[in-house]
Amino acid sequence: MQAQSGVELTVLGSWSLPKEGQEGIESFLRDLSTIFPQERWLQIRRQMGKMGFTCEVLKRHQSGGAAQEKAKKKKKEEEEKEEGEDGEEEEEDEDEKVIFVHYEQRKVMLSQIHPIDSGETDDKTGAPPELKQMFQTVASSQPLFFMDKYDDGPLKSTHWQSDGREASILVELLKQASVPLCLLLGWLLGVWTWICNIRVFSLFPLRFLSSKLSTCVQLSYRTEHMRTLSSPKAAADHTHFMRKANILVSILVDVALGVLLMWWLYRDDHIPMLANMLVPAADHVATKLEELLQWLMGAPAGLKMNRALDQVLGRFFLYHIHLWISYIHLMAPFIEGILWYGGLSACLGLSFALSLLSDMVALFTFHIYCFYVYGARLYCLKIYGLSSLWRLFRGKKWNVLRQRVDSCSYDLDQLFIGTLLFTILLFLLPTTALYYLVFTLLRMVVVLFQGVLHLSVDFINSFPLFAVGLRVTRPYRLAEGVKFRVLCEEPGTALHLLMEINPLKCSTVVQTYRSPTYSCYPRDSWAALVKKLFVGELIYPWRRKTTKAD
Amino acid sequence: MGPDGAPGQAVPWRKVLWERQPFPDNYVDHRFLEELRRNEGIRQYRYWAVVKEAGFVGQQLSCVAIFITFWLYMEEGLLTPETLLWTSLLCVLLGYGLHQALTSQTESCSEPRTRLADLQSAAIFLSFTFGFSPVLKTLTESVSTDTVYAMSAVMLLAHLLSFPYSQPSPPGSLSLNAALFASVCLASRLPGALHTFAMLSCALLVFALWPCLLQRMRENAPHQFTGMCVGVCIAGVGGLGSQTLGGAVLLSLALVSVTLLCPLLLVWLQRHKDNIHGPWDEAEIHEDLSRFLH
Repeated sequence: MQAQSGVELTVLGSWSLPKEGQEGIESFLRDLSTIFPQERWLQIRRQMGKMGFTCEVLKRHQSGGAAQEKAKKKKKEEEEKEEGEDGEEEEEDEDEKVIFVHYEQRKVMLSQIHPIDSGETDDKTGAPPELKQMFQTVASSQPLFFMDKYDDGPLKSTHWQSDGREASILVELLKQASVPLCLLLGWLLGVWTWICNIRVFSLFPLRFLSSKLSTCVQLSYRTEHMRTLSSPKAAADHTHFMRKANILVSILVDVALGVLLMWWLYRDDHIPMLANMLVPAADHVATKLEELLQWLMGAPAGLKMNRALDQVLGRFFLYHIHLWISYIHLMAPFIEGILWYGGLSACLGLSFALSLLSDMVALFTFHIYCFYVYGARLYCLKIYGLSSLWRLFRGKKWNVLRQRVDSCSYDLDQLFIGTLLFTILLFLLPTTALYYLVFTLLRMVVVLFQGVLHLSVDFINSFPLFAVGLRVTRPYRLAEGVKFRVLCEEPGTALHLLMEINPLKCSTVVQTYRSPTYSCYPRDSWAALVKKLFVGELIYPWRRKTTKAD
Repeated sequence: MGPDGAPGQAVPWRKVLWERQPFPDNYVDHRFLEELRRNEGIRQYRYWAVVKEAGFVGQQLSCVAIFITFWLYMEEGLLTPETLLWTSLLCVLLGYGLHQALTSQTESCSEPRTRLADLQSAAIFLSFTFGFSPVLKTLTESVSTDTVYAMSAVMLLAHLLSFPYSQPSPPGSLSLNAALFASVCLASRLPGALHTFAMLSCALLVFALWPCLLQRMRENAPHQFTGMCVGVCIAGVGGLGSQTLGGAVLLSLALVSVTLLCPLLLVWLQRHKDNIHGPWDEAEIHEDLSRFLH
């Protein structure tokens, strides 16, 4: 310990009331020195009615004198009694001052330091050098605090003493019971993973579907979480412990919210009401779409459209909508059953219910997605063709090897056909562009709604509830550093400071303990998105990171 | 070296700067600018030769006028599309025969373009035009008439400006495309898909095939070429005059100015030409490098 921290340590003398004289100390010291081999002892005395302490250093052979050290001393809690009033003393630099620093041992033992870039000693650069030395000593005795933890061996000499003996027995029992529980969970997960990896499920359509449906994705995330939780070993260090605790608390909160949702859904006939609302809502959406198409087929906003192409496109999309409505009406009797069974999935958690909702929205607006893809592909083809034919119009060609535009002498028939096509594409551009714009806007609305759902699911997945709760209820456990408060500053006595733990800020807590892997964020910047819209490329604005076990 | 104004008779001045001479650096002697040559190699234009060449420009102008005449007739309903189609076909066959007749033996060996390839091209043209004519007809329905006329005028002007007058046989991309674009715009105004088809075939004939024939004539029968130009000009003026007198007057004015006035101006302005050449010009290769190309 001494080698690691670099300061000299010795064992203090015990606390004694100033009733006895100095002579009794001698024998006391001699008795004590048979047990403890230290050379020097610090005697601390307090006079009745005064706040400050005076202290002296006594050598074993009582060659005292005021030595220049800094000292630390532990302070007990009121409820508990500790055997042995040991303390440590650190020596440095032979100053004249003694500074007492009190701290609460239990809090320091339970807290976890989160080192930030600037160390503790840096924030007192203008202070007088003795304070700086004191802080430096505090900082260099950090290993001492680290080693002072609750022990986990079979024979426990320290315990959760603040909560009483009963609570500590309960905690120990829970700890013992958690091991077989974890084993059971691990076995269940193994069975589930084996089922998922059956060959028949690896066929192409199922695999593709399961990667697109957000319910399946959410299921795989939760499986990963459970796998983290179900390892029978205890957490190796603080980060793992916090991670496990966060996952556990977030799963519990998720399931609780899901059960609440289920309770609301299944009482008072909410499900049949929802089912009865759904089909007319789909019909209403289809009617609105038909009206929109009729408007486009006329002269929308006074724009001049090519009538023939307009009619063709409009009729094509109308037929699509007609097909879709027939499909919805076909499914109408089964919707209530689907909703009833789908609502059961909320018992797995609110995030599952939200994912299921997102999937259902995607399925019900599939025709909008189809329209968008048709419109976008047509528009993209047109833009591509137009740009290429414009180059032909001017007598130039795109050189793929050099990635530049070169001049080219075309044949007569190439020129002829190229000009005809160019004319046709140019005059048909406003019509196609309008259809593309309308369907892109519709698709963006749906994508936004789905994006909100996904964001909330990711929020539930990754928000560190346990860490935030810990910060609010027991702030000393997540420490950013220490701060000192002056308890007593009388001249002639030692300076008496109280060391308190400086808790982390809430934003730092969230940032540090957030699960990093499961966020979904926009794929393109605004400029790239606008360019893609202009050219007609298909847009899938949300990108999802693949799951990786950290 | 001091500024020695008087030329040293003992040491003649040489036009070098790497030697120390008893003259200042900017000294020049009586042989200054003796290598200057004025107006070397300019061509002396003769009026009637220039007029003959300018006739080609006038001819192209008249071609455009003839095309517009056809369009005007079709729009008035005085010309049926079938008539136009059969006439075009006849002209194509005649022209093709003339073209083949004018091609000499040596040229036909170096250009292995078979009759079959020509037939194939013709088939492609006809099928595409016929297939697209219903689409082409509806293209400018929603565009106002003034816009259509303006676009056509701009495109025809672009065609005239970018026409490769020196070598019309491989047609210039921009000129041909502009002319076809203008013809599509105009043809879509006509009532009926067959009208569109006929108009487009006529445009193809006038703008794409006719210059090839002219090129052959210019190479192999220059006198007939001149006669043909004059004939076309007269036909253009006459055709336009049968529909709009103002148009005919404008066309004839334009023809006169292009064919007669502009050469006069060119020849007259040659007197003011003042080019200087000297040893500072870029080096030109005077050898015939074609012996290096196989």
